[in-house]
Amino acid sequence: MGNVVHPSARSVAATSSVRARKLADGVATVILWAMASSIIVMLAAFIVYMVYLGWSALTPSFIFGMPKQTTAGGGIGPEIYNSFYILMLTLIFTVPIAVAAGVYIQEYALPGMFRNVVQFSAESLATIPSVVMGLFGLLVFVYLFHWQFTALGGALTLTLLNLPALMRVTQEALASVPDTMREASMGLGGTKWQAITRVVLPSAIGRLTTGVVLIAGRIFGETAALIFTAGLSVPFNHPYDLNPFRPAETLAVHLWYTHSESIVPDVDQIGNGSALVLLIMVLVFNVAARVLGRRLTTHFTGRSS
Amino acid sequence: MIAVQARRSHRTELIAVLGLRFAAGFVILAMVAVLGYLAFEGTKTFYVDKFPLWTFLFSPDFAVDAGHPGAAVFIVGTLAVTLFAIVVGGPFGIAVGVFLAEIAPYRMTQLLKPAIEVMVGIPSVVYGWLGLTLLVPLIRTHTSSPSGFGLAAAGIVLAIMILPTVITLSEDAFRSLPGSLKEGSLALGATRWQTITRVLLPSAASGLAVALILGIARAVGETLAIQMVLGNATQFPQGLFAPTAALTTEIVTDMPGATEGSLLEHALFSMALLLLVIAMLLIVFVRVALRRRS
Repeated sequence: MGNVVHPSARSVAATSSVRARKLADGVATVILWAMASSIIVMLAAFIVYMVYLGWSALTPSFIFGMPKQTTAGGGIGPEIYNSFYILMLTLIFTVPIAVAAGVYIQEYALPGMFRNVVQFSAESLATIPSVVMGLFGLLVFVYLFHWQFTALGGALTLTLLNLPALMRVTQEALASVPDTMREASMGLGGTKWQAITRVVLPSAIGRLTTGVVLIAGRIFGETAALIFTAGLSVPFNHPYDLNPFRPAETLAVHLWYTHSESIVPDVDQIGNGSALVLLIMVLVFNVAARVLGRRLTTHFTGRSS
Repeated sequence: MIAVQARRSHRTELIAVLGLRFAAGFVILAMVAVLGYLAFEGTKTFYVDKFPLWTFLFSPDFAVDAGHPGAAVFIVGTLAVTLFAIVVGGPFGIAVGVFLAEIAPYRMTQLLKPAIEVMVGIPSVVYGWLGLTLLVPLIRTHTSSPSGFGLAAAGIVLAIMILPTVITLSEDAFRSLPGSLKEGSLALGATRWQTITRVLLPSAASGLAVALILGIARAVGETLAIQMVLGNATQFPQGLFAPTAALTTEIVTDMPGATEGSLLEHALFSMALLLLVIAMLLIVFVRVALRRRS
């Protein structure tokens, strides 16, 4: 009992340390707020800057016109068309496979070897860099199948690239549906498949759609995987072609190609305009994902999520 | 009647499960095909052209015409930009992750989350274009760098690009902690900041490791954004503001001109295989980190 501190001294020490701790807490809170806000400010600044750069380039003749090889004034009409065309093709392949695989893993597969291998494959596939996937597409579709550069080859490469992400979205959407709904459906005598198609999937469709549209936005802007598979050119005689076996330079690829390889004099103008169109499309996809997801959820479940 | 219906729905069930299983199997098939084909093509440098693996990995002399494709410059370039990105973007991302999980009021979350989703959606080339028109001129005017291209420009662009990955995953890591940890610490009189640094950060360590590893994976594989600002000179990084090249940028720069079956093509496929091996290693690290948590 020799080292008893006088009560008043102890309380002074405690108060000052409390004050120091509170100060540290306050400072840290302010700094974290500043860091988080800086992300929003930065993004807003990016958008304003891109609009400022590209606004004057967005003329009808630029958006709908044909690209030019050597002279100024080229447009991006076929490139925008190709971006949508490849996006459509990719979704036609990706959505059925990814949703089916996601349903199997989430609803049917028992824990075990097969499920683990599928999960591990999906995770690995998801980390493969897009340029590496592009080289795989080059090997298979251009060298092995002798297709040359084609929209279909590009779309199939993008299918492999986006399969895991969409599978994950499916799994998460299914996981959000409470088990009681499955039990209720099967308790009424339905099979598991009936429960999934008539009860679980309609409840999950809102989230699923949000995920699909967000991934669609990413497919729209994909570049590295397409350079070696869909190519760097558009067919000049019939640019708006539905034939999948033709080269199909997309808008994102066009932006990169114009900057790094092309010899047209108005590179900056085309780059600014293309970048702004890509940015606008990203925003459109993001808003559409939210609106569609909310509408579908309300429509199929009567709830507002 | 009922029996017929039941039999029919039973048959539908069997067919459906078969179809679903097939789709799941396709994922495995895809992975094996990509891995196998790239391993086959990416090792041709070593067994067709008889170029030694160690020289490929450690020689800085990338002289394909002389039959000597040393890739050390690109490997070091990739490591350097990735390191820059993770040193800058990693702590920043974790900080914002903490903010979202522990501090952000509802309205701020509603603002920040869509912003992060938009950042994910912005295409790589648009980041590259931003770097090219905004960052590179800035570096050119404010440093002694004659061009502005180089490690710093690429590193900053990458740091921004990996932010969404790191933020989202570290937020998840904090949210998955049991609430009792935080409550216990606060009840003992710790401030929020003390709770974060002394209780939550250590407890979330494995989840944060996953966030950083996947951030690294994104940075290693990123191609066009950095290809547009890195300068693509085949030389080791001579400082932050000098041009260099990375594995991904070298592939995109030289692949269009490489003929099928040439040494250059083989060397580029070897680089792609190396990137694939790095990605697989990082996935294994993620698995290890996750197993530690559970």
